[in-house]
Amino acid sequence: MATLVLTPEQQIQRLNSILNKVEVLQKLPLNRLITAPNTKSWNVLEVLEHLRIAYSLYDKKIENALVGSPSSNLDSWSFKARPWQRFLIEGQRPKGKKRPFKIKTLKRFEPLLDDKSLSEEASDSIFENFFTAYQLLKSSIVESRQKQMKHRPFASAIGPVVRFYLPEAFEFLICHAERHLVQIEEILASQK
Amino acid sequence: MEHSNLELLKSVFKGIAFTGEEELSFAKLWKERHFKQNGLITEAGSIERYFYVVIEGVQAIYLLDQKGEKVVLGFSYAGSPSGVFDSFIHQKPSDTFLEALKPSRLLAISRNEYLHLFEKHPELHQWGHYFFRDILFGRLFREVELLTLSAEERYVAFMRRCPEELKVIPQKYLASYLNMKPETFSRLRASVSY
Repeated sequence: MATLVLTPEQQIQRLNSILNKVEVLQKLPLNRLITAPNTKSWNVLEVLEHLRIAYSLYDKKIENALVGSPSSNLDSWSFKARPWQRFLIEGQRPKGKKRPFKIKTLKRFEPLLDDKSLSEEASDSIFENFFTAYQLLKSSIVESRQKQMKHRPFASAIGPVVRFYLPEAFEFLICHAERHLVQIEEILASQK
Repeated sequence: MEHSNLELLKSVFKGIAFTGEEELSFAKLWKERHFKQNGLITEAGSIERYFYVVIEGVQAIYLLDQKGEKVVLGFSYAGSPSGVFDSFIHQKPSDTFLEALKPSRLLAISRNEYLHLFEKHPELHQWGHYFFRDILFGRLFREVELLTLSAEERYVAFMRRCPEELKVIPQKYLASYLNMKPETFSRLRASVSY
């Protein structure tokens, strides 16, 4: 597998692209946001809620790692992802408009929304929570540009078997969000 | 607003004759914004909200290539306008980053205020014509240099015309702007006089 060099600028640009796409989704009528392709699949709001849950499992870990990282007066970091972490990141990253392979979602990552409670207000709240979470992620990446990536790696959301440095965690979360945006495109395409 | 900042703005918007009152309301439209070294002024993927005039510091405008490497398109520095103009005008997400390479102080005007200014002072359209003409000619001149000059010639031409404050920014930014490797830039700096 080729080397994967991560930079905060690349991540910020992609995260902005994700945020812009979700802003467009927010303008869709509610019936499109709550309609799933089939009973086993999620609808758009469930996907966004899943993304919020995924981020919430890293929120504190990222904050602690930033506090534990020494400041840097030099240019922003450039980080070579380690092999095992790179493998997991690449497993998330969509290949063009395709998700490389389906991954069974663990129970604690499931959105568990009640379809009947998905009102306009609930939808607004899901979008708002998503934007709060991913703006916070962006703020963390921006803050990390003034830091050296010399903190203690932290356990990923699936446990200590995978430990991340901040650039790896950022990349994992962004690839995960990009993957689910592809899923959202598939959900919306199925409605035509 | 400090007198020196108003003079700076007037030097950028030269040719516009404001009355005393107009000058006062013109000055009020501008807010001073500060950025730390390496701070991002505008992020790629976001919409440029301001047109800037630089009071102090050096800024680089760059985009990322497919490998994620920075490709520097230009610089702004004390006395020059700054910002991501295409994003500012079209209000579309920017393809480029604008970064403070040195601690920077900039005067900023929002898009609404900028457009309002043009409505209120139609003579600004002529200023705008010359401003964007100069940018276009500058880009064309740079394109010719990149396509026709050797690395050494590009280095000499640039170093002869660039302001002193630009010569102290990290070499990799200057090297990227001149479309050469940092090692080449370093070798030329050590061996070529201009």
